[in-house]
Amino acid sequence: MDVKLPQLAENVEGGVIVNILVKEGQEVKKDQPILELETQKAVGSIPAPASGVVSKIYVKEGMEVSVGQLLISIGNDGAAAAAPTQSATAPAQAPALSPMPAPAPPERRDHAPAAFDSYRHESKSGAAPPAAPSLRKLSRDLGIDLTRVRGSESGGRIVLEDIRAYIERLQQLAFQGGAPLQAPMAAPAAPVARPSEAPDFSKWGPVRREKMTALRRTVSQRMAESWTAIPKIDQFDDVDITDLLALRKKHAPAYEKKDARLTITTFLIKAIAAALKKHPKANASIDEAAQEIVLKDYCHIGVAVDTEAGLIVPVLRNVDQKNLLDISLELAQLSDKARQRKISLEELQGGTFTISNQGSIGGSHFTPIIYAPQVAILGVGQGSQKPVVVDGKIAIRTLLPLCLSYDHRVLDGADAVRFLKDILANLLSFSDADVKLK
Amino acid sequence: MEPITTEIVVLGAGPGGYTAAFYAADRGKKVVLVEQSARLGGVCLNVGCIPSKALLHATEIIREMKDSAARGIELGTPQINLDRLRSWKDSILEKLGQGIKTLGEKRNVQLIQGRGHFEDSQTLRVETKEGQQFIKYDKAIIAVGSKPAMPSAFDLGNRRVMTSSEALDVPEVPENLLVIGGGYIGMELGTVYATLGSSVVVLEALPSILTGVDADLARPVMRYAQKNFKEVRVNTKVTKMATVGKQIKVTMQIDKESRDELYDRVLVSVGRVPNYVDIGLDNTRITKDDKGFIKTNAQQQTEDPNIYAIGDINGGTLLAHRASREGRIAVDAILGEPSAFENIVVPAVVYTDPEIAWCGLTESEAKQKNIEIKVAKFLWGASGRALTLDRPDGLTKLIIEPESERMLGVGIVGHGAGELISEGVLAVEMGATARDLAESVHPHPTLSETLMEAAESFYGTATHTLSARRSSPDAK
Repeated sequence: MDVKLPQLAENVEGGVIVNILVKEGQEVKKDQPILELETQKAVGSIPAPASGVVSKIYVKEGMEVSVGQLLISIGNDGAAAAAPTQSATAPAQAPALSPMPAPAPPERRDHAPAAFDSYRHESKSGAAPPAAPSLRKLSRDLGIDLTRVRGSESGGRIVLEDIRAYIERLQQLAFQGGAPLQAPMAAPAAPVARPSEAPDFSKWGPVRREKMTALRRTVSQRMAESWTAIPKIDQFDDVDITDLLALRKKHAPAYEKKDARLTITTFLIKAIAAALKKHPKANASIDEAAQEIVLKDYCHIGVAVDTEAGLIVPVLRNVDQKNLLDISLELAQLSDKARQRKISLEELQGGTFTISNQGSIGGSHFTPIIYAPQVAILGVGQGSQKPVVVDGKIAIRTLLPLCLSYDHRVLDGADAVRFLKDILANLLSFSDADVKLK
Repeated sequence: MEPITTEIVVLGAGPGGYTAAFYAADRGKKVVLVEQSARLGGVCLNVGCIPSKALLHATEIIREMKDSAARGIELGTPQINLDRLRSWKDSILEKLGQGIKTLGEKRNVQLIQGRGHFEDSQTLRVETKEGQQFIKYDKAIIAVGSKPAMPSAFDLGNRRVMTSSEALDVPEVPENLLVIGGGYIGMELGTVYATLGSSVVVLEALPSILTGVDADLARPVMRYAQKNFKEVRVNTKVTKMATVGKQIKVTMQIDKESRDELYDRVLVSVGRVPNYVDIGLDNTRITKDDKGFIKTNAQQQTEDPNIYAIGDINGGTLLAHRASREGRIAVDAILGEPSAFENIVVPAVVYTDPEIAWCGLTESEAKQKNIEIKVAKFLWGASGRALTLDRPDGLTKLIIEPESERMLGVGIVGHGAGELISEGVLAVEMGATARDLAESVHPHPTLSETLMEAAESFYGTATHTLSARRSSPDAK
């Protein structure tokens, strides 16, 4: 049986193989992880679709693969391993993988067979792709990476025709708006100009360069899209959390006994969930093609987590139906998973609103970027003690700086301020009974 | 003198420096070329490639004369007039040097004779006969080259102890000559002096001569040396030298045993060192490696962004043609064009008898780096052309990547190997496969056929050799 890269999630078209967990000739059980793949969103393992013996591995660690690409072959028994070619060429008997075997690539990539996206010249001797010096100069001038161009001549030698065909395919992809994630020159989803070339920084001193990871590329692309596509307004406010902190201090030990951490974020999630129920437009998305607003009856809140690899936003589901303890437990669990890069793609999807809390690090007000297709995000700064007028007297209170950034296409200023006011009110209304564990 | 302002200044007019200067001028830049010697061309033209090849040509004639008797042509004993030989050689250098000067002038490259010294990252001071000349530049290219190493223990201040620079002037043909160092310079000049009549002994500290060259390519040269030199001693180190009358007493260490010998002259050819005493590099941001060579990136740029360095001064393989290519890359980089010294095949030629030439990956390098290769060989004993030249002592071999059959390197030993290697360079640069070479028609009878036949032998179908497969009992 040929195992191909399944459709992992919406808009995930491939990834980089981080780890191959099996060897040729090794017996595997159904659902045993065979390899680990780093996608734009996370690292995940690919399970074996059936039990058998690995007869052939077609990929290498570090290789970029795309949906539908042949990964390994699994034979039905030991005999299959002895005849790998036979089983490798035999048509797949059963669907390769459970959720979506995706034998055909999505329609907009008709002109880009999977192999094109991930082709990489490889030479055991470490030699560069075979091409005439004139073509190497041409490709350098055009910024074409020759290791991505498949040579058509004997020994894989690249001729002018191959470079021409490669450029044509890149253009097709760019015009179709579909961006295979590896093609370096293909345009991202929104048609934008080719990135301008960076100046030669080494002119001013020594520099080092690092490849952008898949995650970094995704964050960079999505933030740029959000920034350019969404007319955003930033609404500031402060909330007095002096009493809330006292409540937290009082009850935190009880939560800790249950391995939960009661944090300001926990309260925020609960407060926002209630406010979202009252203001469905803040929990909506825009469907531009249909010219419709999509109102969601569920309430899934994403929390931005700072990990070594970069920003990851796990999503807590149906928070409106959960109590503070459940939310604390779940948040801790998801954050840990995100930091260990064990989070699944499902756990990163379907958010309706996002909280970006930088309070543990520092800083006051900041204006977050909306995590499209959501329409609003709450940026939370660090709480600090301020002199505040309370009942005509100056008192020292702890104020939490907040910024609600929202999509003006969906929410008007008045809607947004009402929504923010409700979040504030909800935060102030937590009572001892609400927090106390039963 | 009024300071000169220029876009590019090139320091050193060897093959790297003048190529860079001329190319920059051709690309519309204002260029000043600074050279301390009266004659342009650097080591290559004055005390390297060109004079040595002139002498080797002369000595080849002597050898041919000697060998001709066996072919039925008696030419007698050659009479050597050293003065005439020297002046013929010098006339070539003069002609070429003058040619470079004219080519520079026609391009409006300003030539300044004098010693350059960097004042800072944008200023070069040149000590000329007329006084100090300051040059303000945007970019500088250092191409000051290298010079023969002369360890202080050998430096007696006695003209009988020579480096290649002096030996190329052929002050005399000594009765006996000791060559310290069995590298390519020692072997080339040893050949010159042996043919002119000296009794030559070559000492090499390492276990073999021509270190780095594949053993099968070095073997015919070793055989020649054993026949025509008095002796080739490997694993031998010189510990001391002293002047004794009109001779040099050389103390050497062979297998822990010390021995003294007397020689009329000694040629020290133990490598080359960077060629600067003081050009003011400390006034720039340039950094050097532990051997004193300047560090550059693939664009030939030094740690000082205004200054580029090319050729021998960067270390690596010290070859004129590499310097020239680097000169062009440096200029491209200055012009802001994408350019880099990457994946460029640099051929090497050793002008021994017979010549050795190679390009790309060598067999020993592949072994060292554990790269899987296949080697296809053709022995010149089966080449009609080699036999008509009376030079069957040759070998042509191809280094091939097994899966793709792509040619990664070529190695040749034999008469005219230096001329033959260029086809190999083109093949490797073009990413040709052994099949491409096998299917390109080569004229008969030529030595170039050996490349085609080597490629054919890779497929077991060489016309003039029997492959293992063909010589099996079934085929008889």
